[in-house]
Amino acid sequence: MLITAQDYVLGILAGDRLTLARTITLIESILPIHQQLAREIVDTLLPHTGKSVRVGITGVPGAGKSTYIESFGTMLTQKGHNVAVLAIDPSSTRSGGSILGDKTRMEKLAVNEKAFIRPSPSSGTLGGVGRKTRETMLVCEAAGYDVVIIETVGVGQSETTVASMVDFFLVLMIAGAGDELQGIKKGVLEVADAIVINKSDGDNIHRTKLAQREYETALHMLMPASANWSPPVLTCSSLFSTGIEEIWQTIIKHRDAFTESGEFEQKRKEQALEWMNFLVEDGLRSWFYLNPEVKKLLPDLKSAIALQKLSPTAAADKLLSLLIQVSG
Amino acid sequence: MSQHPDFKKWQELAEKQMKGKSIDTLNWQTPEGITVKPLYTAEDIEGLDSVNSLPGIAPYVRGPMATMYAGRPWTIRQYAGFSTAKESNAFYHKALAAGQKGLSVAFDLATHRGYDSDHPRVAGDIGKAGVAIDSVEDMKILFDGIPLDKMSVSMTMNGAVIPILAGYIVAAEEQGVSHDQLSGTIQNDILKEYLTRNTYIYPPTPSMRIISDIMTFCSENMPKYNTISISGYHMMEAGANSVLQTAFTLADGVEYVKAALKSGMDIDQFAPRLSFFFGIGMNFFMDIAMLRAARFLWFRLMSEYNPKNPKSSMLRTHCQTSGWSLTEQDPYNNIIRTTLEAMTAVLGGTQSLHTNSFDEAIGLPTDFSARIARNTQIIVQEESQVCNVIDPLGGSYYVESLTNEIIDEAQKIIDEIESLGGMAKAIESGMPKMRIEESAARKQARIDQGKDVIVGVNKYKLTDEKIDFEVREVPSSVRDEQIARLVEIKASRDTKLVEKTLNDIKEAAKNGGNLLAAALPAVRARATVGEISDAMESVFGRFVATTRCISGAYSSEYDANPEAINAIKERTTKFLEAQGRRPRLLVTKMGQDGHDRGFKIIASAYADLGFDVDISPMFQTPAEAAKMAVENDVHVVGASSLAAGHKALIPALIEELKKLGGHDIVVVAGGVIPPGDYDFLFKAGVAAVFGPGTPIPDSAGRTLALLEEKFLS
Ligand SMILES: Nc1nc2c(ncn2[C@@H]2O[C@H](COP(=O)(O)OP(=O)(O)O)[C@@H](O)[C@H]2O)c(=O)[nH]1
Ligand SMILES: [Mg+2]
Repeated sequence: MLITAQDYVLGILAGDRLTLARTITLIESILPIHQQLAREIVDTLLPHTGKSVRVGITGVPGAGKSTYIESFGTMLTQKGHNVAVLAIDPSSTRSGGSILGDKTRMEKLAVNEKAFIRPSPSSGTLGGVGRKTRETMLVCEAAGYDVVIIETVGVGQSETTVASMVDFFLVLMIAGAGDELQGIKKGVLEVADAIVINKSDGDNIHRTKLAQREYETALHMLMPASANWSPPVLTCSSLFSTGIEEIWQTIIKHRDAFTESGEFEQKRKEQALEWMNFLVEDGLRSWFYLNPEVKKLLPDLKSAIALQKLSPTAAADKLLSLLIQVSG
Repeated sequence: MSQHPDFKKWQELAEKQMKGKSIDTLNWQTPEGITVKPLYTAEDIEGLDSVNSLPGIAPYVRGPMATMYAGRPWTIRQYAGFSTAKESNAFYHKALAAGQKGLSVAFDLATHRGYDSDHPRVAGDIGKAGVAIDSVEDMKILFDGIPLDKMSVSMTMNGAVIPILAGYIVAAEEQGVSHDQLSGTIQNDILKEYLTRNTYIYPPTPSMRIISDIMTFCSENMPKYNTISISGYHMMEAGANSVLQTAFTLADGVEYVKAALKSGMDIDQFAPRLSFFFGIGMNFFMDIAMLRAARFLWFRLMSEYNPKNPKSSMLRTHCQTSGWSLTEQDPYNNIIRTTLEAMTAVLGGTQSLHTNSFDEAIGLPTDFSARIARNTQIIVQEESQVCNVIDPLGGSYYVESLTNEIIDEAQKIIDEIESLGGMAKAIESGMPKMRIEESAARKQARIDQGKDVIVGVNKYKLTDEKIDFEVREVPSSVRDEQIARLVEIKASRDTKLVEKTLNDIKEAAKNGGNLLAAALPAVRARATVGEISDAMESVFGRFVATTRCISGAYSSEYDANPEAINAIKERTTKFLEAQGRRPRLLVTKMGQDGHDRGFKIIASAYADLGFDVDISPMFQTPAEAAKMAVENDVHVVGASSLAAGHKALIPALIEELKKLGGHDIVVVAGGVIPPGDYDFLFKAGVAAVFGPGTPIPDSAGRTLALLEEKFLS
């Protein structure tokens, strides 16, 4: 039985799959005692983290993210890398349960000894995917995974959260869905380090090339975030594993350029600060909503707003002043 | 004609008998979405295109042949195969002596997926769900003493069609039978494999090309051979209702026609050799109407291609009674179910029929249960006098009206598929699969609530059931025997020649030569099924399915007993509060069994009940399933087994879990598992076994109880 934080730490450093898996469970748990233990483990492991290439991948459902990771991850393991994949699955039902099917599209990678894939239900967490995914990434690094891939669906706010914890953020697109830029928020393009148009195979190749040109034009109109990197638009076929190597080379090139310019260090530092900010905000938020007085008052205020008996500003004032009293 | 002059009078009488309630309250909403009324009259069939044709004449509603069973009854064709070729051959000889008329070969899953018996991936599958065939030597034993120039042989093969059909042809050659004398059918229906059964090998494009190659070869060399059996059976077994079965099957048919035309053939060159295969369920009149409607629709669909030969637009079909309708509980009831379904197929006008054995929900048929199954249709054919009149239900107001409704509903779906660019494109889009799964989840919910009655399962249950009967076991020595024969063959053949012929197959695969023609020399040189499949795989690749699950369908249909559902939801929420996360279940299918209906219903229903459900890829080895269970850190693994591999695979899974340190992961099993094996599994460490027909709230409740005991106490 794993009992103490030290047990977990030793297991993770030894690369034990089960211990890593159970640590992630602790990180994802909604119980404060689990979270506390998880934090202790993560803190102890910190010196062993940070050495991986962190890649975030987003795209609409069906863009081919899982299939891409199957092909990309398999290639990386063949190059000798150890690959961890964290897949955030949005498919929760009304009752709160989820169907986690990512591994059915990562059939080869799922059984690969050099790969660790963990799909996580995204439901039921206050702070969204932020905290859990970041801590999970760190323990994977400590367990010896030198490439960590985070898959997230390009809906909601999870993708910007993910972008703020990785070194390279890849946006996966498909061609031929009518207006190419529709359905994808401008904000996502702004944080993209590369855009990849997937499914460039069969009778789709022509359309992907067209889309590639359109995206290139669109990206030209955006200010690049760094003087040393203009995000390229690439094409690939995840199904036939073409164009995958080029994407890895692009990631390496980005890393080299950023390391040389000092931006790599800088970005990681900024991300650490952002993380702290996030944790503070997240902590405040849960502290606020878990407060018994707030819990009691909130439903009444909500219905009062719905009935237009109270303005939202007045309601917010009421809640906040309540808290100032409580803490003061 | 207008309303029957006495209709008002009847209505008054009826409503009086119903204490004033409207007769509309007697309407029945079928799963197909058709409203069935309590009474049909002449008015209902007025002016319908599908009424009042003659048998043997377009549009063939009343049957493809002019004399139907009055001239010659349907062919009694029982699907069978298990263990080694020798054992199956002995079984066939007995069946033929006892009144069976044609052979129908079941292959084991390893063969279906193009693996030889010595492949590590298939250790649990050899000889289990069918006969193991590794080379033409096995094929020769399988047909020993069976004259292939006289016996029509049907083979259920879709993935490894090339080596198997070539094996059959070469076995015949070595009996002295020429190609043009061969008659029978190869299933060769790959599209439905991507939809339901998953026994494919290659991706869709090369698979469609293989079908065209077979059609071309056979149209030139084997004029009496049916090159494809377009199958709805597996869709029905996967949960499709009768309209979905009709629409998807015919749409598959249209896709094959288009592929053959594209490969340069003339419509009349291949269309007369297309045959169909429908599944027959317990909705008696619905499925009679389904077969009549299918013939009408096929005629109409094929007319677009202007065939000259009337046979090109004539739907001929084999039928099989439903496996899903069979129960493990009170199993002798299955004989009665099968009798009713056999009557349905016969009144619908099938050309050949398989009747299931009553023990099929439990294990492989024994000599005894196979005899009863065969006799079921022999008695219908020879004792009941139903054969004397052609299409006896022709003109029935109800049956004709229902036939017309199915025609209309199925046509709508066929049009929808056409607008997606045909069936291959529709399958890519996931539409048919989703529809079938939704239909399946709804059906399961109706059964679990007792809305669809199944005697012995959800009504009139036996309180203490003790019905013991023998089940057939396939000994694990079958694998050793097969491996020994492989070693022998490989030692005695001309290796150079094998290499050359396998290379020729690769060349044909690359450059578009006919693959069946290219495979014949390899089979003659004793190349194995696995080697020939590998040669093609090296060019085509192996197809990987994407598994998608619908959610919400189960709970939206399950409304009769919301307390049962809510109670479980509350317990999963309690579990979350106590454990910090929801109960997490991995559902997995190990071995080469590709039936994924049960597995998907479980996934979607359990998620509806508040579990986090991981689904594994298909065709896992126990070690792979264990890795996934540990990595995802699940509380429980549910192993689904429908193909007799459970005794090898499930204990192996438990061992693998232990190796990875997952001692505390609970393992439960479900599917077709003979009750006699339960103890064996319990001893191996399985915590619970759920037989077929276990309502989902029951299995979920019991699984949850195991977890509560282990993790919450
Ligand atoms: N033709 C083609 N299909 C692809 C490719 N990548 C993914 N797909 C298909 O697109 C569908 C969705 O893929 P999936 O990986 O599940 O997408 P996700 O929802 O973004 O994770 C699946 O049917 C894949 O087989 C590709 O490169 N080419
Ligand atoms: Mg995905």
